[in-house]
Amino acid sequence: MFLINCPFCGEREQSEFKAGGEAHILRPKQPTELSDDEWAEYLFMRKNIKGIQFERWNHSHGCRKWFNVIRDTSNDQIKAVYKMGQKPPAI
Amino acid sequence: MLNYNSSLIKENSYSELSMKAINPIMKFIIRGRKREFLSGVGKTLNMILPTEPCTSSSNNDTTAIWLSPDEWMVFSNNVVNKDINSYELENLLVNTISKANLGAITDVTDQYVLINIKGKKIFDLLSLGCPFNFNDFRNKKGSVIQSLIAKIDIIVHLKEIDNINLLVRRSYSEHLYSFLCDAASRI
Repeated sequence: MFLINCPFCGEREQSEFKAGGEAHILRPKQPTELSDDEWAEYLFMRKNIKGIQFERWNHSHGCRKWFNVIRDTSNDQIKAVYKMGQKPPAI
Repeated sequence: MLNYNSSLIKENSYSELSMKAINPIMKFIIRGRKREFLSGVGKTLNMILPTEPCTSSSNNDTTAIWLSPDEWMVFSNNVVNKDINSYELENLLVNTISKANLGAITDVTDQYVLINIKGKKIFDLLSLGCPFNFNDFRNKKGSVIQSLIAKIDIIVHLKEIDNINLLVRRSYSEHLYSFLCDAASRI
């Protein structure tokens, strides 16, 4: 259990949020030109690293907005929170 | 005619705590982003929509509460006529907002139940099932939060000091009310 600072509502408990997986994965511009392996790479393959990870979170029991979180997966420490469409801050 | 009959009819009182479901209360969800939307709603409701997170604004008849950057709930301060389910305010908002393509308005009168809780021990009661820290909230009249109580989505509006409006989905209201009554009898 940890606290997440929602960029809209402020500091709330983790149980109000839903994790939405890795952030900043771009959809290929021409999916029809990709091989099956390349498409699977985009669709399924995630880094799942131990350490600093860029993630999407949704405040599903609050303002219902999506935003990005930089979290250290080894100790759940949150390094930064920023809105959708913004560039990740340097950490 | 909608059925506003609720099973939460009795008023429950405990030491320094009393709660009661209030119905029917007119409620709308309004959504929009444009500046014309904000000014149109402001003129119709005769008040400015709160744009600061977790706040509300109210006049004599209605209260508007902030739910997200583009979503607000508007509800009447007093009970409305239970034999009518179309409201003058709704028609006005439909004409100024929906028909002008500025935003959306949805009648949620029968989807949410408003439970009014009064007394000094409100936040002792809420903290039994809610992860939110109410220490700052309890002193700021008009603040609003959305959170969970016993895993049920709720909206808490601080109407006055030691007087809150609790909005909950109708299908969860009976369960939440029995949870609150049980919890209140033990504090």
